Order: sequence, then structure tokens, then C-alpha cells
Amino acid sequence: MTRALDDLIVLDLTRRFFGGLSAMFLADFGARVIRLELPSAERAEAASAAGASWNHEADLIHRNKESVALDVHAARGRALLRELLGRMDVVVTDWERGELAALGLDHASVSAVRPDVIFARISGFGPVGPDADLPAIDELAAARTGMMPILPQPGQPPVYTGAGAMHSAVMLAFGVITALLHRQETGEGQEVDVSLFGANMYGAALDIQAFLAIGSGERLLNPISRLDVSNPMSGSLYPSADGRWVTLTMPDTDRWWPAFSEALGIARDDPRFDTHEKRTAIHRLELIRELEERFQRQPSSHWRTVFMEKQMSADIIEQFDYPARDPQLRANRYVIELDHPSFGRVQSLGFPIYMSESPARLVRLAPCRGQHSAQVLGELLGQSEEAISELASQGIIA
Amino acid sequence: MARALEGIRVIDLTVWFQGPVSAQYLADFGAEVVKVERPQGGDQARGVRSIKSLEIGDWNQYFLVINRNKKSIAIDLRKPEGQAILYRLVEKSDVFLSNLAPEVLSAWNLGYEKLAGVNPRLIYATNTGYGRFGGVSKPSFDMTVQALTGIMARLGEPGQPPIYLGMGSGDAYGGIMSALGIALALYQRRRTGRGQSLDASLYGAQLYLAAPYLQAFLAGHRESALQHSRRDVENPLWNLYPTQGKWVYLCEPNEDARFAALCRALGEPSLAVDARFASTEGRRRDCRALIGAIEAATSKRDHLQLMTALGAEGLVASPINDFADVIRDEQAWQNRYFMKAWCEEVQREVDIRGLPVTLSKTPGEVRTLGPQLGQDTEILMMELLGYEWEEIEALKAKGAIP
Repeated sequence: MTRALDDLIVLDLTRRFFGGLSAMFLADFGARVIRLELPSAERAEAASAAGASWNHEADLIHRNKESVALDVHAARGRALLRELLGRMDVVVTDWERGELAALGLDHASVSAVRPDVIFARISGFGPVGPDADLPAIDELAAARTGMMPILPQPGQPPVYTGAGAMHSAVMLAFGVITALLHRQETGEGQEVDVSLFGANMYGAALDIQAFLAIGSGERLLNPISRLDVSNPMSGSLYPSADGRWVTLTMPDTDRWWPAFSEALGIARDDPRFDTHEKRTAIHRLELIRELEERFQRQPSSHWRTVFMEKQMSADIIEQFDYPARDPQLRANRYVIELDHPSFGRVQSLGFPIYMSESPARLVRLAPCRGQHSAQVLGELLGQSEEAISELASQGIIA
Repeated sequence: MARALEGIRVIDLTVWFQGPVSAQYLADFGAEVVKVERPQGGDQARGVRSIKSLEIGDWNQYFLVINRNKKSIAIDLRKPEGQAILYRLVEKSDVFLSNLAPEVLSAWNLGYEKLAGVNPRLIYATNTGYGRFGGVSKPSFDMTVQALTGIMARLGEPGQPPIYLGMGSGDAYGGIMSALGIALALYQRRRTGRGQSLDASLYGAQLYLAAPYLQAFLAGHRESALQHSRRDVENPLWNLYPTQGKWVYLCEPNEDARFAALCRALGEPSLAVDARFASTEGRRRDCRALIGAIEAATSKRDHLQLMTALGAEGLVASPINDFADVIRDEQAWQNRYFMKAWCEEVQREVDIRGLPVTLSKTPGEVRTLGPQLGQDTEILMMELLGYEWEEIEALKAKGAIP
């Protein structure tokens, strides 16, 4: 079976979760993704991360990758790096521009040796503008996006979700493949930038777009109490008897009311609620209070059964233990079980995209630092075994 | 300007949000996206009139923005004559994308086997709710699927209700995941000549919205499933603090020099010499006390004063803005995250979400906002699909097209 990206070589210059994750998507589909490990500070970080417990983070975001450790401060190391860059189809990075330039890893330097390279970077705030060089910190970007104050209940502190960073990782991978499609046709490389700022804004798509269009509205600027939602049957939260929460998305209340009212024990023809207008406008708050009281009469398991039986668009708000044991996730390989050489059978996040002809695969766990130095130098640069062992003895590679 | 996806034709049989967003990414970069809609009413999202009880105004920004750069053809796919039109379109297309239920697609004879038989090079993409396998088939909407992932239950202060990530948050993520899958399949097809089927489900995508925390849970860190108080975070220098105005997010490592700078910025020399907070470990151990002390100091001033003081010490922080700030944010406009576009519906320029993926040589563009229902039906049938006018009349008479 072929792999979607098995003709690609990618240099992974990432140190944050979202950057590593972005390159992971390429590695999962067969690209040869090579992480470059530098001497010094980076090494201390890696050493402190290793320990007695499973490095579950690395085995997710760096799975299927290779690792080359190179002393880029030595002249010979720099020369090898330049040769390596010449073999790269794609660079994925979350470093700051200054750091990249200092090591000759910025776009200008890389494209000098590899003119058709796709140079992809997750930035904090985008390639241009007054804040182009603010650091790529997701909290800073999320704070700028306008979404944090309106997520919680009124009176509660703003909420940081971390979702924007995850959005940026997928956006960058999409940008890379889109640029590669252009290169397939024209031979032309280019730069791809996705910022945490832009990604956070897309996660908040509908609210931001509504405010852009309307330009005002307290209900878009401030949190809305769950007891004051616009539609009691959509976007709402109610506690059940066991403390787990129920959520409903049934915007078209006319369609759902017969089955829903029966499930809740409300008369279908209750004159307070017998039209959409009454349910969502005239007696909206009364219906919310009614549902608040009625959902607390039964445990969440009861409600889940009811929702399933009536095929309602509603569910229980679960904690992570639910996906951890949901057979649906195994069946779709969204969560996989793997054999770890040190820690045995462990569970990991799997593959969110299913492809029939070129499925994502777990070929290897995260590489050790420099695990593939010799192999990569041999295969990509044609270095002989003797040359490689000499480089190793000189400390140029590790 | 060159377009990265020039020459790629996409059939977009999607409704509401996730599917349309997925095709929007392809359309923005130059793919020819043909939205296929039912003749009566089209995509249900055309009917959206309010958001959070606010009237959306004189143009439907919900529908028009995510369906920008697309054409629209209206076909009644319940009729065999309508299906036959779609097959002709499949012959001429590279990608078929749908977020309708697989059972509906089968009932309309639009399953993968059928369409791959018409065009073996076809990339057949679905956005199911819960994945292709495992047998779960129930209605799926952004929030009801997000509920299952565990991400909602871990957010917010302890004891507070779960937090929804925002309207369309999961759909938007499922949309880009799907666009990535389609791009991967297109790249591979250029090399192999072969199509395939793919799926990016709402559930599978949304699990990754909480990836660091869910992965930690799977590795045995049970506490990552639970709500955590901002009053009890390991590094008090990386936390949000109230002021008399907006909240401020401080993002600094727990290092002695940064802490000393913070104490200067806050004008709290007593904190700097407090023995409890003299080391990284001490600040971690006594984080509750330190967070309380920092909060007492930040609460004395407004966010502008605080930001100025933090900035003077070179400390990284941001006020927590609201949408009124965001829509004026110069950084968003300069990077084309926001753009202006002509809206036919109201005959004026409107402000829209722009292009979040920046390609330097093929930057993408917004040529038109979402199409009128069926506006391209006749021209596509004649020019692309080769129908004669008499045939079109006959199909209209049969109700296959409006």
C-alpha cells in the first residue's frame, strides 16, 4: 500500500506541542520527517524530560519521525546542515525568525540552497504587521481573540481552552500540502505562515463573524448565563440527577418538540410551549426553568438512553474516561493501543483522518536524540561509514 | 495571481458548517467548488436569521462567508434524473465532499462504490459524526459531539458548569481536518493516478482539540480530566489576573529574574524579598499565596496601567480583549485574517473573516461571497456537462432541477 507523502523529506524544527503536532500529520501519512537536534540548551531540556514515566507527549507529536543531532556551531556541522537543507522538500518550524536566521535556517538561507522548498512556520501573530515578532504563545494569541471573556458563566474569570493551538497545527499542515500541490504543477516553492492569532480566530468563527457584521451586541461581548440561552433546546446545559450535565442542540424546536416533551414529561400541547415562538421567545425563561428542574429528576444514563432511542441531537457531557473506553474510538483508530518497549501496552491518541488507500500508520515511536544521525547522513548525503564514524568521534554528530 | 488549487473541481454536497468550511478552504485557494443543493430552500444554513437572539442584520453572514468563492447548482437528488446529473458532474470532478449521513448518500445512490464506478480517480470525502466504523449513527452537532470528548468538562473553575468552546468551534476544526485529508489525497493522486475515499469526522477531529490533555489522561494522569482553578496553577507567572478593567494574561517562565521583574512592575518590593517566593520551587509550592498576592496588586490598577508597567520590565502579557477590540485589531487586518468583500445581497462591502493560512506566492482570495441558490444550474449543465437546452427543459419538467 502506498503512502500519501512518501516522496517527501521534511525538516522538523519545532519545540512546541503545536509545531510538533503539525509535522506529525505529515509523518503519519508517510513523509520522512527529520527532527534536527542542536547541542546545548536543547539537550538539557530533552534530558530532563526523560524519566521513569512514559513520555506520552513525545510519542504522540514526534511519532513516525527521525532524529539527527548535529553540532551546528562547528564549521563541519554547518556544512553538513547546508547539505541537508538542500535535500528538504519542506521545513516546518515554530521557532522565532531571529533564531532561524542566526543558524542559517530562515527562509532566505534555505531557499538559497533549495529554491523550491516549502517553508512553513507557526507564528504568534502572522507574517506582517506591528506584532509580527511577538512570541508564538497560544495564551497571548487567545487573549487577543475576544473569545475568552464570553466562554464562562457570567461573573467567572475568562477561559483559556488551548484549542487555538491545535487548530494552528492542522491549518499549517493543510497549507503545506496546498503549497506542494502548487509546486507539483509549477515547480515553485513558497512560504506558508499560520499564526496562533489567526487560528484562534477561526476557532471562534461564528461569534467573531457575527460581531464583524453586526458591530454591537451585549450578548456577543459578555457571557450569557446558561439560564438565559437564546433557545432552551439548543446550546443549553442542564444538570442531571448524578451531577453530569446534559447538552441539547435542537434548534428546530418544532421538529423535536413532540418526542422531546414526551421524554421530559411535559404535555405536548402545554399551552405555554406549543409553538416555536413560545418556546424560544414568549416563554423562553419559563421553559429553561422547567427543563432545569426536570433534567435533575433522572441520572445521565437515563437521558443518554432516551436520546439514543429517540435519535435526538443531545448528549451527556463526559470526562476523558469516556473517550478512553469508547469502542467507537478504537474502531476508527482515533485512539490506538500500542506496545511500548519500556512501558508495555499503552493507549495513545490515534489518527483523526481516515484514508482508504493510504491510511495513517504508526511506524515508530518518537526517536531518541540523534537516533538516525548516521542513517540520514548515509542515505541523504551519501556519507560513507568511515566518514560518519569520524564525525561521531569529533562530536559533530551524536 | 497564481492559484494553488487551480484546475481542481470539487462537488460540495454539504450543509451547515463543517462541510462548507472544508470546501471553503479549497475554494479560497482556487479550486472550482460547485455546491450542490436541494431545490427547495437549499443548504439549511441559508435560513439562519439570528445568532444568540441577535438579528444577524440584512445579510446572512453565517451562510455567505463559509460558502464564498463557490458556485451553486440545484438538483433534486431524490430523483433518479437528478442523480444522473450528479453522475455527469462526478465524471468531470476531482473531489466529492459531503457531510450528509452515509445512509442518506446510499439511499440517493451516491455511495463511494457507485461514484468511484463513474470516476475511478475521484476523491470521495465524507464528514461523518462519529467515524466510518463502529456502527454509531446518531445526529451529530458541534456541541453534542464536543460533549463526548471530555474537553468541555475540564474547563472552567471547579464546580462551575462545563465550558463550550464556542459556536462552530468543533465544526471549524473538523472542516480544516477534512480539507487536510482532501489535500493529502489530491497530492497522492497526482503521483499514482488513483482516487480513494476518506473521512474526517466531527468526533475524531474534536478529540484533538484537547490533544495534550487527553493524551496525558490516556497515559494515566487522571487529573487532566478535571477542572483546575486559576488560583492553583503551578507557575503563578503564567496565569491570568484581574484588574479594574480587563483581565490580563501574564506569560512568563517561573524564573528568579522574571519574578524580580514582575515585583518591580507591580511595585511590590515586599514580594521580591518574601522568603516563600525566593525560588522556583518556592513559588510553585506556595503558588496559592503568591497568586493571591499578585492578584491583590493587579487589582489596584486598570489593565492599561498594568500593561505599561509590565511592558517597561519586558514582561510578556496581553489584556484579555473582547470582540469590540478584535474587529479593530490592526494585526488581524494587515494579515488578511479580516477582509472586506462585496455583498451582492445588500450591494455594499461587508467585513468578513479572511484567510487564516498565508501562502506567500498563492495567497488565496475572496472573489465572491456565497452564491444564490442554484444560480449556476443552467450554465454548468450546458457548458460543463454538455446538456442541450431541450434536455434541461425536460429535466425541469420532471422536477430534477428547478
